[in-house]
Amino acid sequence: MKTIKMGVPTFLIIFSIVFLIASLNLPKANLGNPNAPIYFPAGLSIIMLIFSVIYFFQELKNFHKENEYIKQILSGRTPKLIGFTLLFGGIYALIFDRIGFLFSTIIYLGALLFYINGLKKWLVNIIVTISFSFISWYAFSVLLGVSLP
Amino acid sequence: MDVSSFVEGLSIALEPINIMWIIIGGFLGTVVGMLPGLGPATAVAVLIPVTFGMNPVSAIILMAAIYYGAMYGGSRSSILLNTPGDGSAIAATFDGYPMAKKGQAGQALAISAVASFIGGMIAVVGFIFLAEPLANFALKFGPAEYFLLMLLTLSAIVALSIGKMVKGFLAMMIGLALSTVGIDTQTGVYRFTMGFPHLSEGIDFLIVIIGVYAIGEVLYNFLNIDQQKKEKKKVGKVWFSKEQWKRSKWPILRSGPLGFLVGVLPGAGGSIASMIGYTTEKQISKKPEEFGEGAVEGLAAPESANNAASVGAMIPLLTMGIPGSGTTAVMLGALIMLGLRPGPLLFEQQPETAWALINSMFIGNIALVIINILLVGLLVKILDTPAKVLYPIIVLLAFIGTYTLSYSTIDFFLLLVFGIFGLMMKVLDFPIAPLVLALIVGVDMEQNFRMALLSSNGSIGIFFSSGVSITLIILTLLSLLYPLIIKLVNKKRQNSQKDQITKSS
Repeated sequence: MKTIKMGVPTFLIIFSIVFLIASLNLPKANLGNPNAPIYFPAGLSIIMLIFSVIYFFQELKNFHKENEYIKQILSGRTPKLIGFTLLFGGIYALIFDRIGFLFSTIIYLGALLFYINGLKKWLVNIIVTISFSFISWYAFSVLLGVSLP
Repeated sequence: MDVSSFVEGLSIALEPINIMWIIIGGFLGTVVGMLPGLGPATAVAVLIPVTFGMNPVSAIILMAAIYYGAMYGGSRSSILLNTPGDGSAIAATFDGYPMAKKGQAGQALAISAVASFIGGMIAVVGFIFLAEPLANFALKFGPAEYFLLMLLTLSAIVALSIGKMVKGFLAMMIGLALSTVGIDTQTGVYRFTMGFPHLSEGIDFLIVIIGVYAIGEVLYNFLNIDQQKKEKKKVGKVWFSKEQWKRSKWPILRSGPLGFLVGVLPGAGGSIASMIGYTTEKQISKKPEEFGEGAVEGLAAPESANNAASVGAMIPLLTMGIPGSGTTAVMLGALIMLGLRPGPLLFEQQPETAWALINSMFIGNIALVIINILLVGLLVKILDTPAKVLYPIIVLLAFIGTYTLSYSTIDFFLLLVFGIFGLMMKVLDFPIAPLVLALIVGVDMEQNFRMALLSSNGSIGIFFSSGVSITLIILTLLSLLYPLIIKLVNKKRQNSQKDQITKSS
């Protein structure tokens, strides 16, 4: 937990420095002031760096104070729920164009529902998966005229 | 007020198709708004895809209906489950839930619906008189004034994250940093695209919004998904007694205008409006001890104030193109995508659109009070839908919405990244509104800043050259000092209380 607490401000400090270096290395403009595209991001990165350092010291001051939410996110079934939702999302992105909206949505929604809602509620999961996939296909593709694969 | 534009707007709002969208939007907004953890910003973000393929006027009417529908809905779960749908419905738990516990759930729901209706109506009347003069005033703004106005909006929204201002500033900086990705419109230079052609047009803020608000919220709600208890409430007859109305009418009428004015201010939103409405009534009440125990005034006042604030928040959005809150920032993003550019020119070039929206709010408020009284049984049943079924559906809607933005599944990965980002922000207690607001106004802010400097040959004197600029700078400084002032006032109050206790002992 303390790694996350201190890791976030450390990441922000590194990010600000990298953003500053990247800003200073931006290509020069051919029109008008050649440095015009640099000023705003460079200025931002400096202010961000200052606030990141303040944040770092704030967290350091509260180093031993526990964050209930971080605790919760790392406990029980929560990390798996988050992980699998993201994993299924990634798989959905990969199969969406290949097998089309309807089939990929049935697979995705079904997998997510079975994982989150449990196997015991199989009937509800199947009804919701099929009905919602068809309703969303009909609403977007037919009623709203959105072109779906 | 331009009467002919008003009449034209009214006739557009009264078209059957638009009335249908108002009812659908109001209902959908109420449903999403009442689901614990999902507020109006999420409601609008998740339902953005519904507006695709629609004509822009109907789309803006629908989105507004979703917005104030969610404001109505937020308090349903506050009253019945003691779980506010969003921040602005928190005050409704103070007396609404105790009323429900006393067996007055039906009365509480009716008072909340009627108070929301009257608050909303008061605000729409205010909107009619304030919108056009403000738009005309904004027409006089140059790039320097616009830059300063955006700065004020951002500083105000950060300043309101009292106790976590550093995090608010960091969220704002990240939003501004994200807005710099893509081709610089003034010079054509590619910035931070990392060689991805997909990023040359910048990061689509709607993907960020949907990711942070929809996916992020769902992932965050996984934290206690297994602990969520089912609590069934018997609602009974949804109406109130004469005595309850007598006690509520003045709090409703007082809090409406108050909430409207708070809504117009940049940064301040429904949460602040409802808290101000509640505390004001408690302070002036003859029976303040009843507050928190199921006092009907304690429910009526915040409900009137937060709905009025949601209408008021649309004024800076429509007249100046400046969103004052997370939800209006989401709406601005959706409107730009639909080809509408809110701002002073909207009233000049497309007055019928602006007036159609204003008039639709009248109809919307009437529709919502009917929905929330007549359909309360159905709405309460929706609260019984298990979160474990709802959340996968919301995630799916987010994916479909993202796909319809650019027809590219690469955006699904961006959506997931911003979903994790949203989750982290919630877990680490970072305010999300400054990030979203900064991302949306970031490009305009930088361009106006540079245009102002260009017009003055690089002299920063341009930012101090007009009365409006100086006023905006003073307001920005005041907004940044506001948390400090609050801290000092509280300290002084605590000290005086301590002195009184010492004296009396």
